[in-house]
Amino acid sequence: MSASSASSRKTLSKIACNRLQKELAEWQVNPPAGFKHKVTDNLQRWVIEVIGAPGTLYADETYNLQVDFPEHYPMEAPQVIFVPPAPLHPHIYSNGHICLDILYDSWSPAMTVSSICISILSMLSSSTVKQRPEDNDRYVKNCRNGRSPKETRWWFHDDKV
Amino acid sequence: MGNKLGRRKQVVDDKYTRPQGLYQHKDVDVKKLRKLILDSKLAPCYPGDDDCPNANLEECPICFLYYPSLNRSRCCMKGICTECFLQMKTPNSTRPTQCPFCKTSNYAVEYRGVKTKEEKGIEQIEEQRVIEAKIRMRQQELQDDEEKMHKRRELSTSSSIAGPSEIEYCSTAAPSFASAVEGGEVVTSQETCTAPTTRQPQRTRQNREDDFDLDLEDIMVMEAIWLSIQENGRNRSMDYSDVGPSEQYTEEDHRCVPAVNPTASGSSSSPSGGLACAIAALAERQQMSGESSSYSRNMSSSYNEHPSCDRFSNGEELENDDYPHAEGTMHVSPESHLEIPREDGEWADHGSMVAEVGTSYAVSDEMEDDASFPLQGEMVSDLQPNTSSIVPENFEEQMMLAMAVSLAEASARSSPPGVAWH
Repeated sequence: MSASSASSRKTLSKIACNRLQKELAEWQVNPPAGFKHKVTDNLQRWVIEVIGAPGTLYADETYNLQVDFPEHYPMEAPQVIFVPPAPLHPHIYSNGHICLDILYDSWSPAMTVSSICISILSMLSSSTVKQRPEDNDRYVKNCRNGRSPKETRWWFHDDKV
Repeated sequence: MGNKLGRRKQVVDDKYTRPQGLYQHKDVDVKKLRKLILDSKLAPCYPGDDDCPNANLEECPICFLYYPSLNRSRCCMKGICTECFLQMKTPNSTRPTQCPFCKTSNYAVEYRGVKTKEEKGIEQIEEQRVIEAKIRMRQQELQDDEEKMHKRRELSTSSSIAGPSEIEYCSTAAPSFASAVEGGEVVTSQETCTAPTTRQPQRTRQNREDDFDLDLEDIMVMEAIWLSIQENGRNRSMDYSDVGPSEQYTEEDHRCVPAVNPTASGSSSSPSGGLACAIAALAERQQMSGESSSYSRNMSSSYNEHPSCDRFSNGEELENDDYPHAEGTMHVSPESHLEIPREDGEWADHGSMVAEVGTSYAVSDEMEDDASFPLQGEMVSDLQPNTSSIVPENFEEQMMLAMAVSLAEASARSSPPGVAWH
């Protein structure tokens, strides 16, 4: 359980570093629409600006995603959260944690930061209502000690809990 | 030498028969790996190149390094280098490994050696075709959207109110390849439609025709029947509103309520489409239950194995190569999640999430529950025992109902399982 957060704090493996550099280079040439990578010198933590797609509930709203890469990326999924304030969405908790299976059980090393971003934007865009998950308060309370969403045992139900 | 003839044995420098240290492999059976490489069952562990100085190298989609040749997944033919492949297998897992590209279970690779010029040429042609097909599909979609908008405007006044169920859309929603960006555009176009409640019934009909071979005439007959029942049971229809299905369902899932709510649309108008709707819903439900079962199967298997961080650091037993070729499994690619088709708006999204078994986010089991919306629950009491307040009272009504049900069943049966993701 705690090992995943510990490993995410470890420095990137050579292969992770190499892949991230390439992903970043590709991003700079061909960024996913609606996203902006905020330049830092930290390859292990990306902060990405998301702009809600036009015609959706989140049109013109701007949010920040924080992506932390574990030592064994891409074999292990990155930790992806919204930097609070997180968008009001039935699958996004107020602490920024996102209930999205590809970030956890369904992660595949064939995915990239770019593909994650598109999935998240797609999730936002398909929302029909701006509200928190029903169990938001309980969940956020349980995460007060700074628990990583990767340690959550997610059930990919809908918002009926 | 030997590798020219059928590639049975290939001459590989001994140092390329073991991992080059791309990963810290644990538990790799070095002997077995060596044998597999020498037998041309796996690509040699050449050190990957950072960039591609010439066009003869292939990029491994996992480590992004370039190699003279890659292994191919049996399911979707995607390339992967041997060292990344060794990382993919989880020996302690109870679940067979999924293909990282298409999520087919029982991931297995084969090695066909360096791609020949012909193979590369064919690939390029195929890629070109895919691109062209995508463009055509996109154009078609745009065209369809426009037509729908026109039809919608023409018919919106004449269409009576029905309570479409969200699941109706999922059958049409799945086989589309709209990208997220495209989806955004389509959503925009939908925003411009000012009368969502009158729009949907008409759409419902279209879908029903397409998917279940119920022609408009049938539906009209059914509606007429329903109306006559309605005449007789006017009192009962008042009862519905008292029962207040709206409240009941609002609590359960906000998303399925608005368009379904019979009380909101008025007791006089809403039942006119009610029976037809019930038929459609029943048919849908049948189809739905098929989908749902495969869906839950998939989900439950993914629950069996909750990944922990050391999942991938476990080594490799090299049994992979012997896995039988997976058959009839779902080819739901991770990217397909991005391809949620938007043309049916919010309802489609909800439905398509179910269809996209492997990767959809936060799909609820409640879909099955919600599949029965109020009217259906009332009409078809065996599906919703708890809302059995309305039971056909006289013989005539029972016959009508039986007709409706059998018609729905027949059409559901005769229609193909239909959704492209199967």
